[in-house]
Amino acid sequence: MYVVVGWLDEFLWGALVVLQIFMVGMTMAVIWGLLGAAAKLSKIPVFSVLASVYTTVFRAVPELLVLLIFYFGSAITLTAIAKLINPDIQFVDIPPFWAGSFAISLIIGAYAAETFRGAFQGVDPGQIKAARSLGMSATHTFFYVRLPQMWRLALPGFGNHMLSMMKDTALISVIGVEEILYTAEIATSITMQPFTMYMVVAIIYLVFTTVIMAIIQVLEKTANRHLESV
Amino acid sequence: MIETKSTPIIQLQKVDKFFGEFQALKNVNLEVHKGQKVVVCGPSGSGKSTMIHCINRLEKHDNGRIVVAGIELNDSLKNIDAVRSEIGMVFQQFNLFPHLKVIDNLMLAPRLVRKVKKAEARKIAMTYLERVHIPEQAEKYPIQLSGGQQQRVAIARALCMNPEIMLFDEPTSALDPEMISEVLDVMVELAKEGMTMICVTHEMGFARSVADLMVFMDEGEIVESAVPDDFFANPKSERTKLFLSQILSH
Repeated sequence: MYVVVGWLDEFLWGALVVLQIFMVGMTMAVIWGLLGAAAKLSKIPVFSVLASVYTTVFRAVPELLVLLIFYFGSAITLTAIAKLINPDIQFVDIPPFWAGSFAISLIIGAYAAETFRGAFQGVDPGQIKAARSLGMSATHTFFYVRLPQMWRLALPGFGNHMLSMMKDTALISVIGVEEILYTAEIATSITMQPFTMYMVVAIIYLVFTTVIMAIIQVLEKTANRHLESV
Repeated sequence: MIETKSTPIIQLQKVDKFFGEFQALKNVNLEVHKGQKVVVCGPSGSGKSTMIHCINRLEKHDNGRIVVAGIELNDSLKNIDAVRSEIGMVFQQFNLFPHLKVIDNLMLAPRLVRKVKKAEARKIAMTYLERVHIPEQAEKYPIQLSGGQQQRVAIARALCMNPEIMLFDEPTSALDPEMISEVLDVMVELAKEGMTMICVTHEMGFARSVADLMVFMDEGEIVESAVPDDFFANPKSERTKLFLSQILSH
C-alpha cells in the first residue's frame, strides 16, 4: 500500500475535482429537471413534445456515449467555426471539465425531470383547491403549498440521482479531466499496481456516496417530520 | 325563509356545466341572500359539489350567469383571488396543509393574501381556534389531530379570511360518527352568528335546525327547493320523496 502514499497529493486533488464536477453537474441537473418537468406538464404541445424527446434520448443512449458525442461533437463544431475566422487554428474545444459536467448534467436532468413531474402530480389536488379557495394566487400556491409537499415526494428519487451523478463523474476521465480515475490510470502505468490504485478510487467513491446517503437520510427525516404522529 | 327585497349575495341563473360529454349541472337557478343558510342534498353524482365549486370558481361553468357579491364570475374577471378570499370553503377531506402546523395553516392566507402582520395574523388565528374550541392544538401538525379536530381547524382557517360567505362541501362525510356532532355544533354556532352559508350535507337534523332553504338536486338539476318545514313534510317531487324516505328511514 505504501506506493499509494507517493500519489496521495494527486488523489486528493482528483477528489476535489470530483466534488467540483458533482456540484456543478448537480446544480445544472436540477435546472434541467425542473425545466423538463415544467415542460412535460405544459399544456403547450411544443414544450411537452420537446421535453419528451429530451427525456427519451438522454435516458436511452449510454451515458459514456452521450459524453463522447457531446465533447467531440462540440469540439468539431467549434473548430470548424474557428477555422472560418482564422484558418491557422488546429483545434478548439469546450474545456473538458465543463463539457463533461454539462453532458452528465443533461443525463441526470432527464431522470430528474421524471422524478419532479411525478412529485408535482403526486401532491393531492385538494391541497391546491384549498389554497385557491383561500384566495391565494397561483404563485403563492406553488411556493407555499405545492413545492414543500413536492420536495418530500421527490427526495427518494432525487437521492438516487445524486448517487448516479457522483458515480458518473468517473466517466469524465475519458475526455482527460484529471480526476481520481484518471490519476489511478497514470499511477498504474508507472507503478504497475492496477488493483491497488483502482481500490483507492473505489474507496474514495465509497466515502463520497456514503456521505450523500447520510445527507439524504437527514433530508428525508426533515421532510417527513410533520407526518410523525405525536 | 328570510324575505328580502335586497339583491341576492349569490345568484345563479341558468347555469350549465359539462365534464366532457357529461352534463353535471343543468339549468341551475339559485338565489341566496345575505345571512341565509341553504342546505343542499341529493344522491351522489347529482351535482351538489359541482354547484358550490362553481360559486368560487374552482370549477368554471359553461353557460349561464353566476354573480357573487355583485361580481359576475366570467373569464374577463381580473381578480378571481379577491372574490375567493370573500368565500370560505370547507372540504369533505379537510385539505389542511400537512406540512404546516395548525397555527401556520391558519396564518398562511391572511399573511399572503391580506398582507396581515405576523403578530396580528397569529392573534386572529388564535381567536378562531378558540371559536372552534381547540386553541390548545395550535402547535400540532394536522396528522396529530382527530378527523373532527382537523375539520374544525379547516373551518377556522376559512374564517381567518373573514369571509362573507361559507361553503361547506359534505363537511362531515369523511368523519367517524362520534366526531360529527363536534363539527356540526361549530357550524350551528356560525349559523346563529348570521353567516351566509351553503352546506352540502345529508345531516338532516342540522338542516332542520339551521336551514332557511332546502335544495334537493338530482342528475344535475335542482328538483325542488323549499323551506325546511314544507320540504320535509310535503315534498312535491317523487324523486325528493324517494330520497327523503331513503335517508330518513334509518
